[in-house]
Formats: sequence, structure tokens, C-alpha cells
Amino acid sequence: MLIRPAADDFRIIGAALGRILLVVAGASMLPMIWALLGAEWHPLGTFVLMSGVFALVGSVLVRVSLQPSRSISVDQRHLDWSHGMVVVAVTWVVVPMIGSIPFWLSDHYGSPLDAYFDAMSGLSTTGLSLVQDLDHLASSLNFWRHLLHFLGGQGIIIAALVLFAGRGITSLFAGEGRDDRMLPSVQSTAKAIWAVSLVHLTIGVSALAIVAYAGLGFGPVRSVFHGLMIFFAAFDTGGFTPQSTSIGYYHSAAFEAVTAVLMVAGALSFGLHFRLWSRAARRTRIEVPMQSGGRDRGDRWSILRSLEIRSILSTFGITMTLTLLGLAALGVYTSVAGLSRQGFFQILSAHTGTGFTTIPSSELALWGGMAFGGMAIAMALGGMASSTSGGVKAMRVGLVVRAIRDDVKGDLLPEGALVDDSYYQFGRHRLTSDVARSAMVVSLLFVALFLIGAGIGLVYGVPLQQALFESVSAGASVGLSTGVTSPTMPGLLKLTYIVEMLLGRLEFIAVFVLIGFIYSWVRGR
Amino acid sequence: MMGRTVLGMAGGLLVLFMSPVLAGDVAVSDLVADGESYSGTEVTVIGELVGDHGNRRDGFTWTQLNGDSYTSAPVADGGPLAGSNIGIGIRMPTELVDGLDPPGRYRRVGPIVRVTGVWKYHDPVRQGETYLDVTSMEVVDPGRTLHEPPLWGSYVVGLVFLAIAAVVWWQYVRRRDGA
Repeated sequence: MLIRPAADDFRIIGAALGRILLVVAGASMLPMIWALLGAEWHPLGTFVLMSGVFALVGSVLVRVSLQPSRSISVDQRHLDWSHGMVVVAVTWVVVPMIGSIPFWLSDHYGSPLDAYFDAMSGLSTTGLSLVQDLDHLASSLNFWRHLLHFLGGQGIIIAALVLFAGRGITSLFAGEGRDDRMLPSVQSTAKAIWAVSLVHLTIGVSALAIVAYAGLGFGPVRSVFHGLMIFFAAFDTGGFTPQSTSIGYYHSAAFEAVTAVLMVAGALSFGLHFRLWSRAARRTRIEVPMQSGGRDRGDRWSILRSLEIRSILSTFGITMTLTLLGLAALGVYTSVAGLSRQGFFQILSAHTGTGFTTIPSSELALWGGMAFGGMAIAMALGGMASSTSGGVKAMRVGLVVRAIRDDVKGDLLPEGALVDDSYYQFGRHRLTSDVARSAMVVSLLFVALFLIGAGIGLVYGVPLQQALFESVSAGASVGLSTGVTSPTMPGLLKLTYIVEMLLGRLEFIAVFVLIGFIYSWVRGR
Repeated sequence: MMGRTVLGMAGGLLVLFMSPVLAGDVAVSDLVADGESYSGTEVTVIGELVGDHGNRRDGFTWTQLNGDSYTSAPVADGGPLAGSNIGIGIRMPTELVDGLDPPGRYRRVGPIVRVTGVWKYHDPVRQGETYLDVTSMEVVDPGRTLHEPPLWGSYVVGLVFLAIAAVVWWQYVRRRDGA
């Protein structure tokens, strides 16, 4: 029997959602300040409006949900798993809705749906865009687009966790597709994630700005502007750029190299970042507490033994080989240097889920055969778990392959023989059937998502290869496009990609729980 | 708004099509869509310089040349939306840029230029980059600054919302602390 959610359930959800929206209202002050400093008065007004809506909705939700006069305050009850999932899913629907206000009022979008598409793409760190005349867009709006990458990539929920301590917040953390708790408490983990991100921000922006200033000959202010925008998009594996020609705008191998490092950094899990940065982990002998209860007693090379690292290195190697061989077969580049630089950058961008490109989408559309296969597979697989990139993720790929291998091994060995079903991931873990099933289910859901999106594209007459490419790009939060994503594409296709971006970024569960919650509310007793 | 749109479009059309001097022999969109066909050939294109003038130490300046409808009818000037920008990278000797107005950005239409150069498609010398290696440039229109008026309504509504939010929050905090 379905149980209809009680009023207190709504209050608990409302209170958490309200607090998160207040955090976003605070963050939306940043583009406001940017517009003020740049004397961009038209966008400034739209940011004031957006902040006002965030603050109003947030404060009203908190006020209505938390009534101190009640005998048991909702504040004293903690979020259970389903509450947390519902909060995350609703947050990810509502924030782009309000966050798209400045886009819609900028006159650079054909419809509110287009503006919402870009806000969702920004927040989900996808990078597909329906903006028109990007090259004349206000810098403050560009800043807001890229800041959405940062908020979505680092996690707006995580930001809220840092500011608002509360019980039962683990579900919020997990709802955003994160399962890598590095420190004993979720809140301290959230703080660590933001600390790591801010260090990267400082180093990344400085490196890009120096290259832009010294190497590309940009002015100092514009160098910092480009550095900041590209950092947000690279480290959060987003893919927005301030110019319409993406990274091809810079015509610089050095700039691409720094961007590539940032893309890789963004595709690494925060747990790995933490280990790499932790002083203790740099010692020869390390002992890092594990979420699973196991302990990591490995040496400095233990990182290379981890299943996830091996998985991502393998898939990157395979997809890069496929792509480069495909490009060579097509004769796209006449020199080895050209093939290497251009091929490597596009495949790295695809595998990390960033979506930067140095070639126009019309050219990407011509990549057929193995080059297309390599790119599409790389996009679908994505980066590491608990990173900002999307897709199936390396850990799941590793687990699925390992489970299949163990099964085959078991069949080949004599009856009664034991198969070692453990794997190394900073400590030894058992590959139980539950773990394998979970990895397989999410992987299959991604495949289904890609196919459904491609199917809808086909219905609208998009050629199979392009329909599949675009669907994978949206569902795996990549952002590369063969030109299908454009302001003129049908509304239902825009909506399909929006849903794909949401589902892919949240890895399904939170959205499914929200649907179940709504269903219980309507049909439950 | 409508009037500005019509004026902007008319001005743009005038600049692009009425004078025979301004015609490029290849459209930027053709170079983007079918770059390989023009590989190694000398082409003349017309468009707006946008983004940055990157003056590099080797004596060349890199920038972007857009050949879309926004060149003639910018959105900020009431021009209609016409899809994504269509642009190519161009490289030219820095002396060609000397005295040129700033490139197009927000509230700024960049210089509209007619450039001639060799279309380098997947240039092996520059590890596969594609760009127009410009040898000569003629300024058609020096560019201009645009005015975009503030959206006063959004200020008013936004500030009212912020004020209400502050009152609601203050009430909540007062009741919470008093409870």
C-alpha cells in the first residue's frame, strides 16, 4: 500500500529546499557585483530580479516549513533518505528555472525553454547551449553561465551543507551522485571539496591568465576574464566558453595544454584529489580511513592499483586509439602532429565530459567510423565517480567488467574452486552481487537513456549517428555537438535533452524518488 | 523596439550588400561548413572582428572574424535572433591591426573588415589548426558602440522581492529565537 506523504514530510523538504535556495540567492550576488563593476546595467537588473526570486522563494519556504510554535519542530526531525532525494531533485529543477531569468531577459534566447535549457546545461555541467550571438553577450551573463558550472559541479547542495549543518544530510550528498565520503562527517567532506576546488581555482585561473597574457597577447583584464571562464568550464567539466568558437578561439597549444590538465583534474574523484593533496597520503606508508570500513595500507603507487584508475586509463587508451585510428583512416589530418594534438584534445574533452572543442560542430559531424565510435564511447563512459563529469563512470565500468570476468572465470574453473572476488580501491573490497548489480543497473539505465534520446532525435529526422552522438552528449553531461543542438530544433527535442541532462547528472535515483514521491502523494492513502 | 530592429537590419543590409566594394568572394559560413574545399586557396571574406586582438610576440595578431547576421543587426541594437554565431579564426600581421577600433563584444559592434588571405585548413605547420592567414585588410566600417537601456522593471520587482524576503526571514528568526 502506498502511504501518502504527511504534511511534515513536505515541511522537512520545504525547509531544506528553502535553505538551499537562500544559498543560491547568496551566490547570485556574484554576477550582480560583476555587472555593477562592469556598468552592465541591463543584465544587472535581471540579476537583481533573479536574486529576489531566489531569496523570496527560499525565505518563504523556510518560514512556512519551520514553525517554532509546533510541539515538535520540523527542524528537530532529520531528513530521511527519500526526503533528501526529493530535495536534490527539486533543487535541480527549480534552480535552473529561476537561474534562467537573466538569460531569458537578455534577448539572446529565443524562448524561456531555450533559457532554461542553458541554465540546466550550465548547472549539470553539460555545456550544450542554445544561446544566440554569444560573441556579443554581456560579460556578467557569461560569468553567470560559467558560475552555474561551478555551482553545479562543486555541488550547490554541498555549499548548503557547509553553511547549514543538520542531521540526515547524507542523503543530500548522495542525491547529487556523490558517494565518496573522504572524512568522517559529510559536512567536513563538503568543506574539503570546496577547499580543494578553491585551491584549484587560484592555480587554474592564474595559469590560464598567464598563458593568455604572455602567450596570446590579451590585455590583463581580458586574460583574467578568459582564465576564469575557462577554469570554471574545464575544472567542472562543463564546456561553456565565452566565445562561439570554443577553445579553437585561442589557437594555442599552450592554452589547450593547461585546459587539458584542468579537464583531467575535473574528471578525477574528489576522494582521489584528497588523497593526492593530503600530506599523509604522500608518505611512503599511508593509512587513510575508508568509508567502507576497510583501511588503505598501500604505498604511493597504490593509486595506480585502484580499480577505478585502471578502468579509466584503459578506457581512455582504447577510445583514444580508436579515435586516432579512425581519423587517420579518414585522412582528416595530414600531419602526425595535427592528428595528435587535435585528436587528443577532442577525445580528452569527450572522455572527461567537458565538451570543449577546437573544431566546428560541422566538422565533428563528419567524423564517421572508428573516430565517431571512439568519441561516442568515451562520452558515454565519462570520468570518475564523485567527480564533476557525467556518464557511466569509470568505477562502474571497472566493476561490471570485473564481475563479468569473475563469472567467466567461475565457469571455467572446476566446480567448487574459489574465485577471488575482491578488488582494490584504496583497500581491498569484496565484489558482492549487490555491488555488481547496482553498477550494472545504473550502467543499463544510462544506455537506455542514450537510446531513448537518440530515438526521439530519429523521430525528428536527425540522422542516426548524429542523434546518438547528441543524446549521449546530453545524457553523459558532455556538451559536444554535431550541430543538432540549435535554437531551431524542435521543442520536444530540447525538452528531451533537458531531461537527459538532469537524469544523467543526478544518476537517476533522486529523480526516480521524486517521481515516486509525487505518485504516492496523488495515489497514496 | 520594432523601429530599432528595422533600422538595424536596414543599416546592416546597406553595409553588406549595397556597396560592391564590400562583397567578399566567399562567405564565412561556407568556410565553416566546407573548409576543406577552400584549403590552400586565397579567399576574400567580409565580417566583424570580435573578441580580442591577441597581439603575439611573433608579430602576428589573432582574432575572430564573424560572418553572421549579427554583424549587420546586433541583438543589442534590436536585431533579430538568427542562431549561433558563425566565425573563423584569423591571423594577420600586427601592423594591420594598428589603429583599428576594439573588437566586437557586449554593446560594441567591432570593425567590419574585408580581408584577403590564404585559408589554412588543418594547417600541418600549426598542428592541424584551421584559420585564415590574412595578407591584406580593408576596413569597411570602423565599428560602433551600442546603448542598451536598463530594464527598470526588473530592478523594481527584484528589489521588492528582496525586501519581502528580508522581512520574512527576519520574522522567522525572531520567532525562532523567541520560541
